Amino acid sequence: MIKRSFFALAQPTLEYDPLEPDPKTPEVIQSPDNLILLVNETLKSTKDTLFKKGDRVEKFERIRLYEDSTEYNVSPVAGTVQRIDIFADDFGNTITYLVIKKDKDQDSSSDQQSPAISPDIRSADGLLRNLPGAPPLKKLADPDLKLNTLVVTCTDDDLLCTTQQYLAKTELAHLKEGLGILKSMVSIPKICVAVPESLNIKNEFDSFQTFSISATYPEALPELVLKDHLNIIPVPGQTPEEQGVCFMSAEAVISIAKAYDQKTPVFEKLLTIIGKDGARTRIKATIGTPLRLIFNQLNIHINDMDRIVVGGPMRGSATFSIHHPLQPDMDMIMVQDRDIIPELSDSACVNCGKCVKICPAQIPVNLLVRYLAADQYEEAADGFDLESCIECGLCAYVCTARIPLFQYIRLGKHELSKLRADI
Amino acid sequence: MINRKLTVSHAPFWHDGDSLFQMNLNIMLAALPAVIFGILHFGGPAVGVLALSIASAMLWELLFNVVSKDPISIGDLEAAVIGLIFGMMLPATTPWWVVVTGTFVAVVVGKMIYGGIGTNPFNPALTGMAILMLSWPVFFDADAALVSYEFDYPALAPLAALKYQGIAALDQFAVSDLLMGKQVGAIGSTFGLGIILGGIYLILRGYIRWEISVSFIAGIILTAFIFHMGNPDKYAPAMFHLFSGYTLLGAFFLATENSSSPVNTIPMFIYGFMGGVMIILMRNVGVYADGTVLAILLINLVNPLVDTIRPKALGKGVNNA
Repeated sequence: MIKRSFFALAQPTLEYDPLEPDPKTPEVIQSPDNLILLVNETLKSTKDTLFKKGDRVEKFERIRLYEDSTEYNVSPVAGTVQRIDIFADDFGNTITYLVIKKDKDQDSSSDQQSPAISPDIRSADGLLRNLPGAPPLKKLADPDLKLNTLVVTCTDDDLLCTTQQYLAKTELAHLKEGLGILKSMVSIPKICVAVPESLNIKNEFDSFQTFSISATYPEALPELVLKDHLNIIPVPGQTPEEQGVCFMSAEAVISIAKAYDQKTPVFEKLLTIIGKDGARTRIKATIGTPLRLIFNQLNIHINDMDRIVVGGPMRGSATFSIHHPLQPDMDMIMVQDRDIIPELSDSACVNCGKCVKICPAQIPVNLLVRYLAADQYEEAADGFDLESCIECGLCAYVCTARIPLFQYIRLGKHELSKLRADI
Repeated sequence: MINRKLTVSHAPFWHDGDSLFQMNLNIMLAALPAVIFGILHFGGPAVGVLALSIASAMLWELLFNVVSKDPISIGDLEAAVIGLIFGMMLPATTPWWVVVTGTFVAVVVGKMIYGGIGTNPFNPALTGMAILMLSWPVFFDADAALVSYEFDYPALAPLAALKYQGIAALDQFAVSDLLMGKQVGAIGSTFGLGIILGGIYLILRGYIRWEISVSFIAGIILTAFIFHMGNPDKYAPAMFHLFSGYTLLGAFFLATENSSSPVNTIPMFIYGFMGGVMIILMRNVGVYADGTVLAILLINLVNPLVDTIRPKALGKGVNNA
C-alpha cells in the first residue's frame, strides 16, 4: 500500500506499474473438475430453464437460460450441469451461475466441432462475447450506438496490474492480426491503439493511430482518454459508447485473433495475482475456474476476514466468496491480509479540501458528499456534478476523515439511475 | 467445501494512511514551539491556563456526546486542538472560570450544536474568544493581566500602545524583538518565529492550505503598507502589524481551520486576502486594538459565498454536440 509521504504539500502521484523488462511466462493453472459459468440474466422462478440440473453440456455449446434469451455463455468443457442458482453482485443485481462438472474423458468430446464462426460482426457476437478480455461485441454489433471510434487499450486500468501490457508486448502478432480482423469486420471509421508510455511498441501499428498514455494514475481511464487524446469532452451521465467511442482491451483483440485462427472460442485467461506480501504473479487459467483453486496452486492462504479484491486497489470490488469464478473481464486479483485492511470511519466531512485538490474531474467532493449522505441524489447531480465522476477512487484514497467517498458516489449514481428509471 | 468469511467492502482498497487524529496531532505539534516559549516566559500560570483549557474543552465535548447520546468523538483530538488554540490566545493570568466558560462556548456553542466535527461555520476557538472578549473585556487587556510580571523589555501590549499612545509609542518596539517574543501578549501569540516555524511545518505536511496563510499575510502587508505610505505619522508599518497581537496565530492556526475556510484555489486567495485587509482596517480605522478575532469570524461568514467560485467539473458547461 502506498502511504502518504511525510511532506505532503504537493499532491501524491500514483503511477501505473510498468511491465518488468524481462517478464516471466505465466504459470498455468490446471483446469478444474467443476467450472462455474455466469450468465448475465436473472433466473426467473416462473419459467423453466433450457438447462436443468443433470443435463449434458457439450464443449463450445452456447448456454442460454431461456429460448428468447439474448445473453449466453459458452461452455469451455463437455460435462453435466450440477447446479443453477442466483448470483448477486455489489448493488443487488442478480444474474445466474451454472456449475458444470467436467467429463472425466474430454477426448471423446474434443471431436465436437465448434459452431462455424464467419468473420462478420453478427456471427462473432453470436459466439465470442465471453472470450478472455470480454470483447464488447454486443456494442459493436448494435446499430443504434452509431460508434465512430474504437480504442484498443494496451493499458491497464488500475494500479499494480500488468495483464494488458504483458499481452500487448508478448502477443503483438496476434494483436495486429486481431486489429486487422476487427477493421474488416466493423464499419467504424477510426480505430486507435492506446499504448502506455513505458511500453515500447508504439511504432508497431502502422495503419492505426496510436496514443501514448502517461503512467500517472488515472490517465488511462476512458473518460480521460476521451478528453486528452480524442478531444471529446465526456458528457456527464453518458457512457463513452453513447458518445460514439467504444473501448476494447488488448486481450479481447488477441482473443478474437486466436479464435479465428483456431476456428473455436478460446478460454485461457491471463490474470495478474497480487499476493498478501504484494508479490506479483501472472497466471493463465480457464474461464470459470473458482478463485480458490488459483490460490491453492499459488500457495496463497486465505483466512477468515481477509479481503479478496477482484480488480485493482483503486477501482476493484471485494468478493464475498473464495468460490468466485474467473470471469472474462477480470484482469487482476489482489489478496489483502486482515491486518492491513485500512479502517474507514463514519465521521463527517471536515472540509480539508484534499479530495477537491486531487479530483481529476474537478468535482466539489466535499459538498457532494453532504448531499449524498442525505440521500439527495437529484440535487447532487444537478448542483454538485455527481455524474461527472470518472470513478478513479482518488478522493477516498486521500480522505483525512476516511469517509468511503467513492462508495457514496457509486451508490449515488446507482440510486440516481433508479430514480430516473422510475419516472 | 471450505468456506471462509471474507471482508467485503468497497473500493478503494488502499488508503494513504492519514487520519483526523494524525492531522490534529500534527497541528498540536506545530503549536508547540510557541506554547513552550509561552510557558518558559510566563511560568506556571501559563501551564495552568493551557492545561485547563485543553482538559475542559475535551470534557465539554465528552459531556455533549454523552448528553446527546452520540458516539464519543474526543478521540479525534479536535476538541484538544480547540482547547490548545483557545488557551494560546489567553493571557497567562486568566481566571479559571473564564477559561472554562470560554471552552464551553468554543466547543459546545461553536462546534457541537452545529453537529460536531466539520460542521461549524465559524472557527470554534474564535467563537469562544469573541464572546468572552465582549463579555469580560477586562481579562483580555494584556497590560492589566500581566501587571505583576517583570519584563526586560517595554511592558506594553504593542497594539494597545499603538491604539492609545499613537505612532510615537512604536519606537519602543523593534521588529526583531517582536519576532523573538519580546512583547506582552497572550501565552501562545508572542513568539512570532515559533508560530511561523509551526505554520511552515503544517504547510509542508499538507495539513493547512498554504494559499490561505500566504494570501492572509499578503493582505496584511499590502493594506498596512498602503496606510503607512499614505500617512506614516499616523499608521504603523506593515512589519509591526504582522508580528504583533494575534496576527501570525491568525495566519497559520485560525484562518486555516478546515471547516470554516474555503477549499477551492481562487476562493482561498480571496478569503485569506480579505482576512488580512479586514484586520488592518479594524486596527487602523476601527475601535479594536487587535481585530484578528472579529476579522477572521467575518471571513468565516463569507466563506460559503466565495467558495462557490469553482472550476467547472468535467463535461459541465461545454456544448459538445
